Amino acid sequence: MQIYLPIAEMPVNIFLIIGLGAAVGFLSGMFGVGGGFILTPFLMFWGIPPAVAVATQSTQIVASSVSGVLTHWRKGNVDFKMGGVLLGGGLVGSVLGIQLFNALKAAGQADLFISLSYVIFLGSIGGLMFWESLQAVRHGGSNVGSARREPGGHYWVHGWPLKMRFHRSKLYISAIPPALLGVLIGLLAVVMGIGGGFILVPAMIYLLRMPTAVVVGTSLFQIIFVAAFSTLLHAITNQSVDAILAVLLILGGVFGAQFGVRYGERLRSDWLRLCLAALVLMICLRLGVDLVLPPTDPFNLLVEGLE
Amino acid sequence: MRRVLAALAIAAALAAGSARAEDLAAGISRDKIEITSSFTGTDVVVFGAIELESGEALPVTEMRDVVVVIRSDKPYLVTVRKKDQVGPIWMNREQRRFAGVPGYYFLSSTRPLKDIASAEVLEQFEIGLERIALGPAPGAIGGPRAFREAILRTKMKQDLYSQHEGAVSFLSGSLFRTTVALPPNVPAGNLKVLVYAFADGQVTSSSTMTLFIDKTGIERGLSEFAHHWPLFYGLAAVLLSALAGFLASLAFRERH
Repeated sequence: MQIYLPIAEMPVNIFLIIGLGAAVGFLSGMFGVGGGFILTPFLMFWGIPPAVAVATQSTQIVASSVSGVLTHWRKGNVDFKMGGVLLGGGLVGSVLGIQLFNALKAAGQADLFISLSYVIFLGSIGGLMFWESLQAVRHGGSNVGSARREPGGHYWVHGWPLKMRFHRSKLYISAIPPALLGVLIGLLAVVMGIGGGFILVPAMIYLLRMPTAVVVGTSLFQIIFVAAFSTLLHAITNQSVDAILAVLLILGGVFGAQFGVRYGERLRSDWLRLCLAALVLMICLRLGVDLVLPPTDPFNLLVEGLE
Repeated sequence: MRRVLAALAIAAALAAGSARAEDLAAGISRDKIEITSSFTGTDVVVFGAIELESGEALPVTEMRDVVVVIRSDKPYLVTVRKKDQVGPIWMNREQRRFAGVPGYYFLSSTRPLKDIASAEVLEQFEIGLERIALGPAPGAIGGPRAFREAILRTKMKQDLYSQHEGAVSFLSGSLFRTTVALPPNVPAGNLKVLVYAFADGQVTSSSTMTLFIDKTGIERGLSEFAHHWPLFYGLAAVLLSALAGFLASLAFRERH
């Protein structure tokens, strides 16, 4: 069954889109990632114009993340204070990100920068995380995996000024590292068109030393606002958010996220990190291959608008 | 497009003066296409008859060729980028900007275009994919033909540009028809339907019609909302998404 998308100006298969939204929502609820870096390529693969895909996917991320956060919150797994600090940094980063993005667009190299950023970040983070979690799984970590890794064990950055108590995370650390992390995420989110979860989750686990259980919910909390801001930006500047596509994706996404949260809890935290790392590496590989292989058509068109 | 209309005006003026003035009466099976939620492309038939002004039908001995062109009314600005290898990586290197690019172009004719008229005549009326008058945008430089060809190739792959020589058929001496399959991704916006009759390599008569393509109902409402009130549209999108997430979490809440 097909439905016509008003902004993309093309019909799509209803069930295919809902299914895609559900699959990505599932991953979102489980790992605390936004899912944009999977959703956008798939949408474009199915013929949706890139501008519409990037702009609309953030609505699905808002919905899945809200759905996931509320569930995590009820179980006491969201550190709102930490989320607030991350968010503050995130807004600053977004503003910086827009400047950078516009400069890249003017130079015609936005796509290249984005692909390279993905490959570098996904590759390094995915690789490190894969290695770490592989060790944890091999040495038979317990179900409360965080106990073995000493959450609250300190790095030198934790001793920086502006120390705050983050009760949910059982941490007493400087607020500067999370704020800086927020700035980085905000910047990358605007430039790369993502929620930033796949960077945020490992950073929270390894740099900030938050317990894994709290990391997922708190990451989703931050993602909601980043994705919401992204949606607004795209709607205002490009008018490329397609409402009907959004509705279909959200229908699948919110339900998928619920199942993802529940299933994610049952997994041991070290297995969860291993799966996320594997996913991240696969996508990195795919993007890297795309950069290096000769394109099917070296020419690409950008329709700018009516004369 | 403006050049085409000017050429038509001249041809009409010349034909009106000649002794054997003829009339091309043409019509389309639908002159308005409404894009609803279930739109997946649609077929349109262009038909017509060539008569002498006196009202008589064309004599059987007179051969006419008919060319039907359907093209977007308003053209687009398009940037074409070319990827090149820099080290191991493929990245955009050169780019060219083009103006006058129609969103949709369809052509069908009774015979191959080269048998109907000379290149100069075809050029005047922008008949044929290679003769669409898209060129460097104001202020841009010209360049290798490959960039122009990339536009044609991409649009053809998207089913937006097509050329069907031999697809116009004559049902009787003067009555002809051709079928146009409008693709699902045809851009919303009006299309100009141009029908030409050729004899001895010259345009003897022509007719122009407009095919209105409009989104209707919810498709139109959403489209207008997005373009006219972008801030509210964005806010509505965010709020509704958050609401959907909230409702889903309620629906799945575990009973304590």
